[in-house]
Amino acid sequence: MSPPRLTGALRSFSSVSKQDDLTQDIYDLKSKRLKRQEIFARDGLTWQKIVQFFTQHLEKKDQPAANHELKNILQAAKQIVGTDHGQDTIESAGVFLFKTFYNKDQIGHEETRAIKQMFGPFPASAAEMSCAAVGRLVAQIGESQVDAFIQTQSSLKTVNRSSIFGRNIAFSFDTYVLDAQDPLPWSEGTDTEQDMDF
Amino acid sequence: MACAKVPLDELHVTEPFGPQGKERTLPALHPDRKEERCFLAYKPPPEDSTPALVEEFLEHAQFISEDLEWLLALPHDKFWVQVVFDESLQRCLDSYLRHAPRGLDPSGLSSSPAVADMQRNIHRFVFMVFLRMATHKESKENFITPAVFAEIIYNNYLFDIPKILDLCVLFGKGNSQLLHKMIENIFTQQPSYYGDLDETIPSIIQVFDMILQKCGIQPENTGNSQPLKLNANKCLTAMSMPEEELADLVLYMCDTCTTIQSFLDTFPEACSTFKQHNFLNRLSSFYEMAVPDLEKAVKKRNFNRSLQEDMWRRISYSRKKMVEIAHLLLQHTCLQPILEGSENMVSYVEDLLQDFTAFLQEKRFLADYDEQFPIADDISLLQQAFPHLDDTRTSYLLQGVESSWEFVGKKRSFPSSANHSTGAKSKS
Repeated sequence: MSPPRLTGALRSFSSVSKQDDLTQDIYDLKSKRLKRQEIFARDGLTWQKIVQFFTQHLEKKDQPAANHELKNILQAAKQIVGTDHGQDTIESAGVFLFKTFYNKDQIGHEETRAIKQMFGPFPASAAEMSCAAVGRLVAQIGESQVDAFIQTQSSLKTVNRSSIFGRNIAFSFDTYVLDAQDPLPWSEGTDTEQDMDF
Repeated sequence: MACAKVPLDELHVTEPFGPQGKERTLPALHPDRKEERCFLAYKPPPEDSTPALVEEFLEHAQFISEDLEWLLALPHDKFWVQVVFDESLQRCLDSYLRHAPRGLDPSGLSSSPAVADMQRNIHRFVFMVFLRMATHKESKENFITPAVFAEIIYNNYLFDIPKILDLCVLFGKGNSQLLHKMIENIFTQQPSYYGDLDETIPSIIQVFDMILQKCGIQPENTGNSQPLKLNANKCLTAMSMPEEELADLVLYMCDTCTTIQSFLDTFPEACSTFKQHNFLNRLSSFYEMAVPDLEKAVKKRNFNRSLQEDMWRRISYSRKKMVEIAHLLLQHTCLQPILEGSENMVSYVEDLLQDFTAFLQEKRFLADYDEQFPIADDISLLQQAFPHLDDTRTSYLLQGVESSWEFVGKKRSFPSSANHSTGAKSKS
């Protein structure tokens, strides 16, 4: 809990602030994740497009193996999102896993964080399975070709850091702190017993 | 996309609409253009470093950090659509101002590097969002008509007085120039904020009165005007109240003094509004009544030693801040106009002398004030700027200052410039 603050009292007792009920949050982590999934699902890259890409770019003899890996990815996606969700959600999670791992050899901290941000806690084995499957799949065609495909299909823009407002503004993290040098009345040999009131 | 050289409030945009991709034209500031981003409310880092709690904080904070970064990367028109129509964004910002850890909080800032890093990211992003919201002209192409900007920020509570005070205490220490520009622009474009400030000051005074009452001290102004409650004699004092309550009271006083000082230091234009409420006298009498009581209680009661030291430092810090507030008020409402040779110089001189004279009753306050900001120096400046100053009056004042030092048993660490000044004056 925050310590007592002047501005807390002013918000409660003066009439210059918007009187909102802030005790209940509008969104929690769960609803935030769902919203994220919803935004991701609107991306131009779909599961069908991924399947089509491999069908078009692989020779017929290599296709059974590719289909097997695609199934593995969907299987892992199902484990990550849970069994309560429909095929669309599972396929969308499959796209997410494909995008996350197509240029990675192994699951690092960033990838774990990204999956958790999107779906919440997930079984590590499912992530490992999908990472391995994506790796084998990409190896059949080559990373650069897959990368080009993803770039042309994705409509979700990543934040362009060079256009962020305030990027060139000098900012200080200085903050008000108690002065540790303030002398304490009892630390300089002051006998507190001497000035006791009885 | 936005067209050039038209204010945002007059701009219309044509965008694809519906599944067939038809186009429609609508005002740039239209709620339909808002993105459903669902900003989360901010929660402070956990006080203990349990891994699960830290993990939860980081996950939560990561969303906020990414969302604020996304917001700051939006073009001018999209940024303002989100700011005006996304309630979750305003809640997110407000929750940060309310709950972000401050350097003065007992729990302090996090020691975990991951938490500290995340906290720093959000801290900077929040400041930049407020800075952008306080800017009506971002570039030659991106701007809002000043009158419309004034309405937007005021009617949507993008800024209000408690938020402005929070901004000062959170960011003012190292960013005061930037913050001054922001607040100055807000108050200049929308003078209603002066009215709100005027309405807020009685509530600030009430906070001081409440602290006195909690210490069992009757605030001066309510002395005879309000009948005492029947159970008034059962009132607790700083010596008898529960330890936790005393600690909270000291925290509250410290926060209150730091907040007001940081606000006035950042935005001295507010000093005159405080002066109209006789704030200086209320502050000095609060100091005189509350500080000795609280100091005595902290010194003499049996506490855990680290809590006792923390409380003592907080009281010392509050004392400094109160003296600095008084100095800021005098500096900006009297001394500066005198030194600048304002038209009503006589009335400023009279005001300053009256304020100093009023301090004579508050001996502890006066001695502490004089220690940080020697009154003799100000008198000397006055004598130079206003040669007709009444010598008898200034001598009386300086003697009063000396006697306040004697009263509180303080010894000057350097020869009193008051004595020099008085001596020089009497010789002349």
